[in-house]
Amino acid sequence: MKLRILLADDHEIVRRGLCALLQKHEGWEVCGEASDGREAVEMAKQMKPDVAIVDIGMPYLNGLDTTRQLLQHDPHFKVIVLTITDSDQVIREALDAGARGFVLKSDAARDLVSAVEALQSKRMFFTPRVNDLVLAGFLDRGHAISRNEPPNLPTLTVREREVTQLLAEGKSSKEVASLLNLSTKTVETHRSNIMRKLSLHSIRDLVVYAIKNNIIQIQMPPQLHHTTESTVA
Amino acid sequence: MAVRILLVDDHPIVRQGLRTLLEGRPGWEVVGEASDGLEALDKVDNLQPDVVVLDVTMPRMNGLEACRLIQQKQKTSGPEVLFVTQHDSPQMMHEALHAGARGYVVKSNAARDLLEAVEAVSQHRVFTALARSPDASC
Repeated sequence: MKLRILLADDHEIVRRGLCALLQKHEGWEVCGEASDGREAVEMAKQMKPDVAIVDIGMPYLNGLDTTRQLLQHDPHFKVIVLTITDSDQVIREALDAGARGFVLKSDAARDLVSAVEALQSKRMFFTPRVNDLVLAGFLDRGHAISRNEPPNLPTLTVREREVTQLLAEGKSSKEVASLLNLSTKTVETHRSNIMRKLSLHSIRDLVVYAIKNNIIQIQMPPQLHHTTESTVA
Repeated sequence: MAVRILLVDDHPIVRQGLRTLLEGRPGWEVVGEASDGLEALDKVDNLQPDVVVLDVTMPRMNGLEACRLIQQKQKTSGPEVLFVTQHDSPQMMHEALHAGARGYVVKSNAARDLLEAVEAVSQHRVFTALARSPDASC
């Protein structure tokens, strides 16, 4: 029987590349492709893939919260997270979320097949940097891995984290309500609770919090040399 | 029409995705790949592509700098440059065109816009499309 793989990445061009890579491997098939985390969770519930490969930086529901929701639905689910960065905090959150594989996007062409093979054999797959950090944490009684622990993150419920991401992406309470099938009033209650729990005072503060805690990701452009009023207006 | 294309992106998986899309078009050939701006300059010299599909954010030399140098070195018969980038920003698009690019496409919409964009720039027409704009413009 073929190993069935679900891909979740918001860039179709990346999914094409991943498909081309994985389908060269005999005995594997990509059974579904999702373009955001919410779609990935729904598809996983229906398709019950053997492995899900999940990008961390996705709209609507990021890859870390997608991993949490997949494992909440089925604790035996096997998830590999794809990431553009292997900072201590991202590694720690991916491990906390329950990912069994951790692959840098820049190294995916080299590492992803090995990662899927590892999970297929009921092993885990991490980059050397993750292994170093875990080992350092073990030797240092866990302190090395928890030194940069993000503030307050566990205090938000799954639903509050979803609302946080959508608000930080610029959606209004009404739009969030529509996406999550909630009433606008319920979303506003979630919003008040989030702001209170995190001691935030504005949407700007919420966006900063979401970026700092990898709920949303931004890529900084190179320094621009040439700007005019018309382009920045 | 035959088009010879050089792909430049630091993520091999993205290059693979771009390649599968472009090679589906009869007559188009991906003649080479580069993983940063410096390597791109070498490959432009050696391979003489018609179109360079170029990422912005890359190690060693970013795409904007590479584009400027390609334009400086190959003033008359050089390749056309098409940016395929994550930066969904009018300011960045303006910067890319000012650096000499003929096209600008956002990665999240590359599967939708790339073929049309390569076709346009290979015929020396401008093609720009941000993710937020509903329609691409030539």
